[in-house]
Amino acid sequence: MITTKRALYGIAILAVALGVYGFYSRLVFGERDVNYGSYVNWGLWVAGYLFFAGAAAGSFMIATLDYVFELPLFKGTGRFALLASLVTLPAALILIGFDLGHMERIWKVYLEPSFTSLLAQLVWSYTAFLLVVVGSLLMIGLDRRRWLKPLMVAGLVLAIFVSGAIGALLGVNAGRVSFHTAMLPVQFPILNLASGVSLLIVIVGLLGIVQDVARRERLLRVLGLALVVLLLVKSYFLWVDYSVALYSQVPDAVAVAELVLFGRFAWAFWILQIALGIVVPIVILAWPASARNGPLAALAAVLVLVGLAVGRTSIIFPALAIPELEGLAEAFQGPHLGFDYTPSLMEWSVVAGVLGLAGLGYLIANDRLSVFRTPTEVTR
Amino acid sequence: MEELGVVGGEAGASRRGFLKAIVGTGAAAAIASFEIFAIEPEPVLGLDGATPSGPTNALTSAADGQVDVLERMRVELLAALAKPVGQRRWVMVIDLRKCVGCHACTIACVAENKLPPGIVYRPVIEEEWGTFPNVGRRFTPRPCMQCDKPPCVPVCPVNATWKNADGVVVVDYDQCIGCRACITACPYGARTSDFGLTYTDQTPAAAAPIAGRETAGKYEFLPMYEYRKASPREGRESPIGNARKCHFCLHRVAVGELPACVSTCIGRATLFGDANDPHSLVSELVALPNVSRLKEELGTEPRVYYLT
Repeated sequence: MITTKRALYGIAILAVALGVYGFYSRLVFGERDVNYGSYVNWGLWVAGYLFFAGAAAGSFMIATLDYVFELPLFKGTGRFALLASLVTLPAALILIGFDLGHMERIWKVYLEPSFTSLLAQLVWSYTAFLLVVVGSLLMIGLDRRRWLKPLMVAGLVLAIFVSGAIGALLGVNAGRVSFHTAMLPVQFPILNLASGVSLLIVIVGLLGIVQDVARRERLLRVLGLALVVLLLVKSYFLWVDYSVALYSQVPDAVAVAELVLFGRFAWAFWILQIALGIVVPIVILAWPASARNGPLAALAAVLVLVGLAVGRTSIIFPALAIPELEGLAEAFQGPHLGFDYTPSLMEWSVVAGVLGLAGLGYLIANDRLSVFRTPTEVTR
Repeated sequence: MEELGVVGGEAGASRRGFLKAIVGTGAAAAIASFEIFAIEPEPVLGLDGATPSGPTNALTSAADGQVDVLERMRVELLAALAKPVGQRRWVMVIDLRKCVGCHACTIACVAENKLPPGIVYRPVIEEEWGTFPNVGRRFTPRPCMQCDKPPCVPVCPVNATWKNADGVVVVDYDQCIGCRACITACPYGARTSDFGLTYTDQTPAAAAPIAGRETAGKYEFLPMYEYRKASPREGRESPIGNARKCHFCLHRVAVGELPACVSTCIGRATLFGDANDPHSLVSELVALPNVSRLKEELGTEPRVYYLT
């Protein structure tokens, strides 16, 4: 376990080091070195925001199994899931903050908001959600639990709301055919729950928070089966999304579906999302022996997380890569006026740094804070 | 005007008198009543009180005694400006049968608004179709549609964009946080994001008389005056980091001038005016049966009409 932890520290520190360039470039030169633009106006950072925010919401949902629903098998795991929520939420907020042209004006969303804007509602809700996560962890750490359950019930509602609202944020854009579907707000809470389950499998499988071997294996088995079900639901979502689009013959919807399935980044869909993100994890997690094996189950969960992250990119990028008007791409040439988007090195660097910071934050808190140093057998 | 010999006959003289009367009496009141952000206009650029008293466009048709549509639109513009704020309805009509795809409007817009690299308010979309010998070609200028139900407005988290009293969708650069949600929401791709680039980024320095970076750069770092506010291009200050879009050249309209794309159109294909004036040119045109709007099925109610 110590070797595993050292390896995780090493990966996290390396990721932070890789992020130095991106953070420096963004903070000093602004958005000079990004590849997203005016047509593909949301890029890797927005996709990353969707992913990390989803992981935060999903982890919170999982934490309620311990503190709200009080399932015996999950006893003691809640605080670790909450910690996952605590580190992934700032990661999401950093990414979306970096994506803003004027992040120094974020205060305006609080003091001068437009309540008709889903984005403003999301900012407010995420702020409330962050406070709930911090408040819940403080109550657990200080062992003052009188209001913990009501707080976490409110948090659960918020987690579902922010998950759905992110889908709605995209779905309300009637001009974008592939966004404008009620399926998006429905999908996000489910996919986010899959993120939360995956993260807990990684934590249980690698960090030794459950010391009783039989209980750990049972927990991994249950989480594994839950993830298998969620992956099957995800497969159904994907099938519905693309089969309906292709069958409809609506040109823009077909173009988006074809871009994902057969376009330049089709390999990401078929290999990362389907083969490694769904098929391989299902094989590992459906088979009892491998599902109970901590590192193997964690590997499957990491693959699922990668698949979910890639899934966010295939929601965002292709939809924006179809010109709103035919011929717009050629009508005026210039930097940031392309429909063909590949994230820049600087964008990747920022994502690596954020991922590293979140991972490092988790590991340090896990090792240094007393509330996390006790195994799940010691109820906190 | 006479010395240019572009207006002929008594009809021309009487129209001149009409123009002068309108200009003389209407301009001051018109400019004073103009508003962009629904606030009192501020004196800018030393243009207060300016009147469009210069020579009219040389393309005025002398042969048939008809007044050039530019003159007519300027007269109608001043008349519209004399009306109280909120009683005007600015619309643009683009006659696709007259557009020759010269892109002069695009360039005029770039020059007027000092648009940096990567920003465009009015691209001209070119389409070709058919098989020889039955082929067709069409040029479609695409300014902001100034929708009456603009999808870009409600998504803004900080009220940085809205329809002003005259119905033009405006952007407050100092309020915009640069989230680009409005760009996603616009079904016409009419908004672009300012990433802070300059044309002279890669220009090498050069000694006079060659225009190197310093000399060439002087122009693009001069302030631009969108929304009647001087905005120098400095550091990462707005409008860098903001969503930007066509605003029907409100800063020009405020002083009685037509939008740059209208003035520049060599084929008189782009027309502008107050659709609330039943006798205006644009009112006549939007009532024609061959008028259409882009993506009408979305219900955005664009204020840009196309004649096909």
